[in-house]
Amino acid sequence: MNAFGYVTARTPAAAIEAVRDDGRFLAGGQDLLGELKESLVSPKTLVNIKSLPETAEVRREGATWSIGANVTLAMIAAHIELHRAFPALAEAAAEVGSPQIRNVATIGGNLAQHSRCWYYRHRDVRCRKKGGSTCFARGGESKYHSLFTGSMCLSPCVSNLAIAFAAGDAQVVVQRGRRTERLTIAELYADAWRTAAAHNSLRADDLILRVELPVTTRRSTYLQVAEKGDFDWALVSCAAAAKVDGTRVSDVRLVLGAVAPVPWQVAEAGAFLEGKEITRETADRAAEIVLRGARPLGDNAYKLPIAKALMRRALLKLVAPA
Amino acid sequence: MPWPENPRYFGKATPRAEAPAKVTGRAKFTTDVALPGMLFGAVLRAPWPAARVRAIELAKARSAPGIKAAVAVQDGAFDVRFYGQELAAVAGVSRQAVLDALPLIAVDAEPRPFVVDEIAAMQPDSAPVVAGKANLGEGQARTNGDVDTAFAASAAVVEGVYRTQVELHHCLEPHGQAVAWEGGELTAWVSTQGVFALRDGFARALGVPQSNVRVICEHMGGGFGAKSSLGAEGALCAKLAQAAGAPVKLILTRFEEALAVGNRPSSWQKIKMGADAAGNLTAFQLESFGTAGFGNGVNNGAGSGSAAFPAPYIYKFAASRVKQGSVAINAGQACAMRAPGHPIASAGIEAALDDLAAKLRLDPLELRLKNDPSETRRREYALGAEKFGWKEKYRAPGSSPGPVKVGIGCAGAAWNSGMSRNTQAEVQVTTDGGVEVRVGTQDLGTGSRTVIEVIAAEMFGLAPEQIAVRVGDTRFPPSGTSGGSQTTSSIAPAVYDACENALTELKKLSGLDDPRGANWKNACAKIGGTPLQVRGRWREGLAAGGGAINQGGVQFAEVEVDTETGFVKVRKILVVQDCGAVVNRLTCESQINGGVIMGLGYALYEQRIMDRASGVVLNPNFETYKLPGPADIPAIEIVLLEQPERGVIGVGEPCTVPTASAIANAVANAIGARVPDLPLTPDRVLAALGLVPATERGGARAEIDAAFRAVAQLPVHAGATEAFA
Repeated sequence: MNAFGYVTARTPAAAIEAVRDDGRFLAGGQDLLGELKESLVSPKTLVNIKSLPETAEVRREGATWSIGANVTLAMIAAHIELHRAFPALAEAAAEVGSPQIRNVATIGGNLAQHSRCWYYRHRDVRCRKKGGSTCFARGGESKYHSLFTGSMCLSPCVSNLAIAFAAGDAQVVVQRGRRTERLTIAELYADAWRTAAAHNSLRADDLILRVELPVTTRRSTYLQVAEKGDFDWALVSCAAAAKVDGTRVSDVRLVLGAVAPVPWQVAEAGAFLEGKEITRETADRAAEIVLRGARPLGDNAYKLPIAKALMRRALLKLVAPA
Repeated sequence: MPWPENPRYFGKATPRAEAPAKVTGRAKFTTDVALPGMLFGAVLRAPWPAARVRAIELAKARSAPGIKAAVAVQDGAFDVRFYGQELAAVAGVSRQAVLDALPLIAVDAEPRPFVVDEIAAMQPDSAPVVAGKANLGEGQARTNGDVDTAFAASAAVVEGVYRTQVELHHCLEPHGQAVAWEGGELTAWVSTQGVFALRDGFARALGVPQSNVRVICEHMGGGFGAKSSLGAEGALCAKLAQAAGAPVKLILTRFEEALAVGNRPSSWQKIKMGADAAGNLTAFQLESFGTAGFGNGVNNGAGSGSAAFPAPYIYKFAASRVKQGSVAINAGQACAMRAPGHPIASAGIEAALDDLAAKLRLDPLELRLKNDPSETRRREYALGAEKFGWKEKYRAPGSSPGPVKVGIGCAGAAWNSGMSRNTQAEVQVTTDGGVEVRVGTQDLGTGSRTVIEVIAAEMFGLAPEQIAVRVGDTRFPPSGTSGGSQTTSSIAPAVYDACENALTELKKLSGLDDPRGANWKNACAKIGGTPLQVRGRWREGLAAGGGAINQGGVQFAEVEVDTETGFVKVRKILVVQDCGAVVNRLTCESQINGGVIMGLGYALYEQRIMDRASGVVLNPNFETYKLPGPADIPAIEIVLLEQPERGVIGVGEPCTVPTASAIANAVANAIGARVPDLPLTPDRVLAALGLVPATERGGARAEIDAAFRAVAQLPVHAGATEAFA
C-alpha cells in the first residue's frame, strides 16, 4: 500500500472536487481497502464521503423509497418497513459477507464495487481489466466467471444489491459534475458489458448519492447459492419481482447475478410470463429464455442448472401463499 | 507408575489453563512480542514460478529511508522453482519503510518455462521443474499375492479414479518470529511446534553453538505440521537481526502462507477393488501419483514420504498391487500436515469400498464390520452405529425422496501413537506451597499446559489452579517436537515421574508420611531455605512402552444434498475415538472438534488453485481459499472409547482422518452417484448427477491415461513404505 492523502468532504461538490486529484471515494472501504492492500490501485487521495449530509438514511418520499448511499447493508437487512415493502432487497443485503462487513459496507459501495475476479485481484497478474492484453480466465480457472459477456472480460457482476435493485426498477442518483443524473441499474453497469477495463459505467468522479426504489405492489424475493453456507460470494444469485394474483403473475422482473458483467435480465422472459400461472413448467420455460445464448466455459457450465433452479424457486416462492 | 483409584482430575474435565489469558488478550503470541528498538522485517519473493537468478543487488534498498539491514537468501546464482520463493529480506523501522524498500531490490533473473499442474507436468513435452530431471520421480511399489487371479475370481469389481486436492495448513496464526542477538547469543520468539528443533535449526543456519540459542514459544495459534522446523523466513529474520544489530520481528502475511510454508500433497488414485459375493474383500490395485511441490521422489520431506500414502489403507486383501509416484510442479513444497498421508489414503479406499458395497447391494457398514481387521474399530463401528441410528437411517443410494436428498456414510482411521521418550520435566516446590512445573514442550493450542496441570494437581492433591505451568522455552527440560500426536504421551509420564520424585523428597524434608492435599502447606513450610527442585523423565507406565500403539477411530456423517444446485450441507458428524487413558476430557474433545472441522474443510471447501498460464496461486486469501465457517459446522457428537489399560495415547491426528471420507460417502449415498474429487463443491456434485457436461478433471482424458501409464512404468525405489492398518 502506498502513502495517500485523506480528506473529509462535507458536500457532494467538495467530494467531487477533491477526488479529481487522482483520488478515490471512501465510504465503508470494504472494496477499496482490498485494492489498496494488494497494490491494485495507488490513489493520491482518499476522499471520505461518510459525512455527506442525508446519505445515511432510508426515507419514504411519496411513491419512492430513497436509500442514501451511506446506508449500510446491516441497516437494509434490518429495516422492517423496507423488508415488508420489497423483501428482495433485505434478503440480498443479508447474504453479503459477514456481520462485520455488513456493519460498515454501504449501498453505494456495494453497487460501485470492483471486480472480484481472482485474476484481477491478484497483485502479480495483469489482466484486461488492469490494462493487460489477456483474459486469463479464458482457458484458465473460470469456475466463478460469466456465462455471458459483451467484451473480452469474463468478470461477473457480483453486487447482490444490484440484482435486487434491478428487480425493483430502482434508479441510482449520481452526482456527475454539476448535474444530478438518474441511471437505471442497466445503465449503471452498461459499460462493464461493452468494455473489458470497466467495472461499471461510473466515471472516477461520479458520486452515488442515493438509490430510489419505487413503492410497488409487486412481491419480490432474492435467492442465491454459494459454496459455503454463509460469508461467501454467490455462485449464482437471482432476484424476482411480480404482481401476483393467485398463482398468476404480471409485470415480472427476473434478474440473475454472477453470470454476466451486468445484472442479467432478458425482457422476453418477463413478456413470456405476463398473465401466466407460475408452474414448474412456465418457470422453467422463462428460465430457459433468460439463459438462452449462454456461452459456458470449461469450468462454469454448472452455473446453468443452478440458475435454472434459482429462477424456478424464486418464481414459485412469489406465488406461494404468504 | 500406579494411578490413584478415584482420581479427582485425571480423566475429568478441567478448563483450559490459559483460557482466561487467551479470551482477555493477555496471552502473548509471537506477534505480540515488542522489544526495545525492534525492527520490522519482510521477505521479497519471486514473482516468477521458475527463473534463474543471476544476482541480487541490495544496495539501493539498504540505503532507503528507515532501512537498517537487507540480506539475500544466498550469494551467487540460484534457481527459483515456485512463485513466492524467498529471494531476500529487509528490516527497517516501520512496516511501511520495509514495504517501500522491497521493490528497490534489483533481481537480475531470467524467467524460465514452468508447469503448475500434475497432468501437464507428466507429459513428455513439459518444462522440467529441475533441469535435467524428469518431473515424475522414482516410484514405490508393493505386491502381495496373485492380484490378477484374485480379481478374476471376484464376484464384484469396481474401478475408479479418485482425486484429492492440495490443502494448505493455514494456521490462524501465520508463521513468524522475533529474533534478538546479544553478543553471540540469540534469543528467538517463534510460533513453533518444536522449540528444541528450532534451536538446532537456528544454530545450523547461523553457525553458532546450540547452547547460544534460546527459543521461546509461549502461545501459538496452530501448526498442523507446518511449524516443525526452521523455515527460510526464520533464518532470514535472524540474519537481518544480526546485520542490523537490533531485534527484528518478521511475521508472514496470509498471502505468503498460501505460497511457501507447506501443504498437503494432492493425489490421483486409480483404484480397482474386488470382493466375493458375501462381501469379503479379495483384491486391491492402486496406481497413484500426486504433487508435493517442486521436489519429487520418495525422499523429499513431504512428511508422508513424498506424495505417496499408506496403501492399502486399513483393509486386508488376499492379493494387492500398489504403485505410487510423485510429480514435481513449480509450486511450494509440501510438509507434514495433520496425519500425513492418512486423509489422502482414506479418501481413496473408503470411497472405493462404498462403491463396491453399492455394486454388491450391501450396507457399507456391514462391509466394514466384515472386513476391518481392527477389533477396536469394529467395536467403535458397532457403538457408533447404535448412537447414530445407522440402521434406522440407512437407505439404498439415491433413494431419499425429493430434490434435497439425505444420505449417511462412515469411514475409519488408523494411527500409530508414538512418544518422545527423552522428555524430562522439572518441579519446583516453594516454601509457601507454590508449585511450578516446567517442560520444554510447547502448547500448540491442544491443551498441553492443562495436561501438565491436571497431572500435578492429581499427584499433589491440589487444585489445578494452584499449579503454575511453564512451557515453550529451551531453558526448560527437553521434550520433542509436537508432531505425530505424541505430546501428551511424552509429557504426561515425565511430569508424573517428577511429581513422584518431589513427593519422595518432600516426605523426607517434612517428616510427613503424606504431604499431599491438606498437609501440603505444612510440608512445604519445612523445606528449608531454598525451594525443592526435582526432575523426572519419561518412563513406562502411564504411557505404554512397547513401541507404537495401533489406534483406531471411526466417524459417521449425515448430509443433505440439494440435487438441483449441488449444495452439500453436513447435518451431523459422530466420532468414536480410541483414546486410551484420557488425561483431560475437555481438551481431548476440543482437539477432536478441531479435527472434524478440518476434515470438513477438506471434504467440502479447501483447495489451493494454481493458474496454468501465470503460475501463481490464485486463491491466496480466505475469500477464495474457503474454510468452514460457523454456519457450515454441523452438530459434532463425540464418544470417547476409553481403554485406560492402554495408557495415554494421542488423538490430534487420527480424529481428522476419516471425516472427509465419511462425508463423501454420505454424499454418494444421498445422490446415488460418486463425486470422485475432493472438495465436493456444487459444480462437481452437479457433474456427478449428470446435470453438467463432464468437465475436464485437471487434464484431457488422453493425458490422464498417459500419466497413469507413466506411473505404471516407473522404476521402483527400494525402501517402500508399509501398508497401514
